[in-house]
Amino acid sequence: MSVTIRHPALPPGVQQEWRGETYHGRPVTKASSFDWKVSFYIVTLGIAGAAQVIAALARTQHGGAGLARRARLLALGGSIVGPLVLIRHLKTPRRWYNMLRILRPTSPMSLGSWLLAGFGGLSGLTALGAVFGRRSRLARRVADAAQGPAAVAGAGMGIYTAGLLASTSSPVWAAAPAPLAAQFGAASMAGAASALALAQRAAGETASARRLETLAMLATGVELLASRATERAWAAKGLERSITSGAPAVLNTLGGKAVGVALPIAAHGIGRAAGGRAGALLPELASLAVILGGAAMRHAVLLAGNDSACRPEHVFRTTQAARPGGVRR
Amino acid sequence: MDGGLVGPAPGGQEAELTAGTRIEPGRSYGFFTDTTLCIGCKACEVACKEWNNLPADNLGLTGHSYDNTGRLGAHTWRHVTFLETGTRATEMPPYQSNWLMMSDVCKHCDPAPCLEACPTGALFRTEFDTVVVQQDICNGCGYCVPACPFGVVELAPEDGKAHKCTLCYDRLKGGLEPACAKACPTDSIQFGVVEELVERAEARVGTLREQGQADAYLYGTPGAPGATGGLRRLNAFFLLTDRPERYNLPPAPSRPARNARPAFLSGLATMAGLALAAVAIGVGRR
Repeated sequence: MSVTIRHPALPPGVQQEWRGETYHGRPVTKASSFDWKVSFYIVTLGIAGAAQVIAALARTQHGGAGLARRARLLALGGSIVGPLVLIRHLKTPRRWYNMLRILRPTSPMSLGSWLLAGFGGLSGLTALGAVFGRRSRLARRVADAAQGPAAVAGAGMGIYTAGLLASTSSPVWAAAPAPLAAQFGAASMAGAASALALAQRAAGETASARRLETLAMLATGVELLASRATERAWAAKGLERSITSGAPAVLNTLGGKAVGVALPIAAHGIGRAAGGRAGALLPELASLAVILGGAAMRHAVLLAGNDSACRPEHVFRTTQAARPGGVRR
Repeated sequence: MDGGLVGPAPGGQEAELTAGTRIEPGRSYGFFTDTTLCIGCKACEVACKEWNNLPADNLGLTGHSYDNTGRLGAHTWRHVTFLETGTRATEMPPYQSNWLMMSDVCKHCDPAPCLEACPTGALFRTEFDTVVVQQDICNGCGYCVPACPFGVVELAPEDGKAHKCTLCYDRLKGGLEPACAKACPTDSIQFGVVEELVERAEARVGTLREQGQADAYLYGTPGAPGATGGLRRLNAFFLLTDRPERYNLPPAPSRPARNARPAFLSGLATMAGLALAAVAIGVGRR
C-alpha cells in the first residue's frame, strides 16, 4: 500500500507551510565518503562497459577485427584498474570480498558488485580472443561466446553507477534518477567511442575512427540533452546551489560543458570542414576532450551530491511531499 | 557479580520491572520518545555512551542553545535537540513550552534504507525487529551513510566501520531495557513492543489534547509524517508539538531504493538507443 502524504497530516494548530525553518541550520542527512576514487571508477568502468558494446558490434561487421580486439583490451584494462582504485576507497579495504558475501536486490551497490564481478570475468574471456585469437580457434570461440553477455553486462556497467547515486537521500543525486542515468550512460558511450577512436587512429584505421567519432558526437549530444533535463529538475526543486557554486560549478561548466561538449564539437567541426589538411590532431584533441569532460561531469555530480546532503534547506525542500511509489516488503 | 543490575523478577526479566515488558525474539521492539516530557537532562546520551563504551566527540561549544552534542554520529547514538522558541511566556501550557527538546535516535525504520543499501549484509534486521551493524562484516563502503534519510549512520575514522544505535541489542538479548530508556528520569523515552507503544502514544496525544495542547501529533507511526514514501513505520517514533523541521526531522522522507528502477530503465534504454545508432553509423566497418 502506498502512503503518500502531500502535506503531512499535522494538527491544524501547527504551522502548515514550511517557511524555511531549520534546526540551527545544522545538516539533516550526512554526506557520503565518496571521493575522486569513486568518480575514477565510475568513468573507467563506464568506458570499459561501453567498449564491450562496441566490441560486440565490431565482431558482427566485416573488417571489424582490429576494433573488436582493441575494444576488448580496453574493457579488460578498465575492469582491472577501476576496481583496484575503488577498493582503496573502502574504509576497511582488506574486507573488499564481503561485497560478494550476499546479493541484496534493493542495493544498487550490491547489484553493481555482482555485475562488476561478472563483467570482469567476461572481459577476461573476450580478452582471450584479443590476445590468442589469431593462433587459437578455441580462444576465438570462447571469446565470441562471451561477447554477447559481456556487451549486456557492459551496458549495465555504463549506467548502474547513476542508479547507485540516485538511490540515496542526498537531494541532488536523488532528484532526477532517469535523466541522470541517461546522462551517465551517454557519457560512458561517448568516452568509449572516443578512446577507441584514438586507438583506431594510432593503428591507422582512420575511416573506422571517423565513424567512432561520429558516434561519440551523437552520444555527447544525448548527454547534453539529458544533463539539461537533470539540471532543470535540480532547479525546479531548488537544489541548483550545489552545482552552481564552488568546485562542482567549475567542474560542470568548464569541464563537463566547455571541454566535454563545446570543444569536441568545435574541433570535430573544424577538422571535418578542413578535410584531410587538418590532419589527425584536431579529432584526437576532440576525443581526449570528450573523455576528460565526461570525467569532470561525473565528478561534479558526485561532489554536488555530497554538498547537497549537508544543506538542510535542500533536504527539507525535497521532503515536503513523499516520492510516489508503493511499499516493497 | 551481577554488574550492578536490578535482579530479575522471580522467573522474569529486568525489563519487566523497569519497562513493564517482556523481551522475546520475534516481536517488534522500539522507542516512543515523547518530547513533551523531555527536560533536556541528557541522561540518555550519557547512559548510551557509558553502556556502549562510546568515545567522546564534538568537544567544544556549538552556540546552538544547550545542544553541544550537535548531531547523531558514529559515537553519538542519542542526541538531545534544543530549540528555544519565542519570548518568555507569562502563562505556560501543561508541558515544556517555549523550549522544544527532543532526544533523537536511530529510527530503526521498516523497511530500513541503510539495510536496503548495505551490500555486505553487515546491516541486518534482528529477531527484535531492530536494525544493527555487524562490526565483523562491515567493510566501510559507506553506502548506508547517504542512504539514511535521517543522517543517523556514520563511518568512524578510528576503525573504518559504520556505527549507529543498536537499540542495545546486547541488553535485549539479556532481557534488559535499552540503557537510554532505563536512564530517562521523566519517561520521555519509553521502550516496548512497537504496537503497544503506538497505542500508548495515541492515548497520550488524546490526553494532551484534552489538557489543551492541540498541537500534539505522532511522527513515524503508520500513515503519520515520517512514515511516508515507502517507509511503512519507524520503530523508534516521536510525539512532537511543532513542525518536524524544527526538530531536524524531514516531514515526508522517502525510501531511496525506489529510485533505482527508473534510473536503470532509462540508462539501459539510452545504451540500447546508442548501440542502435552505432549500427546505423556503421561502427565496426573498416
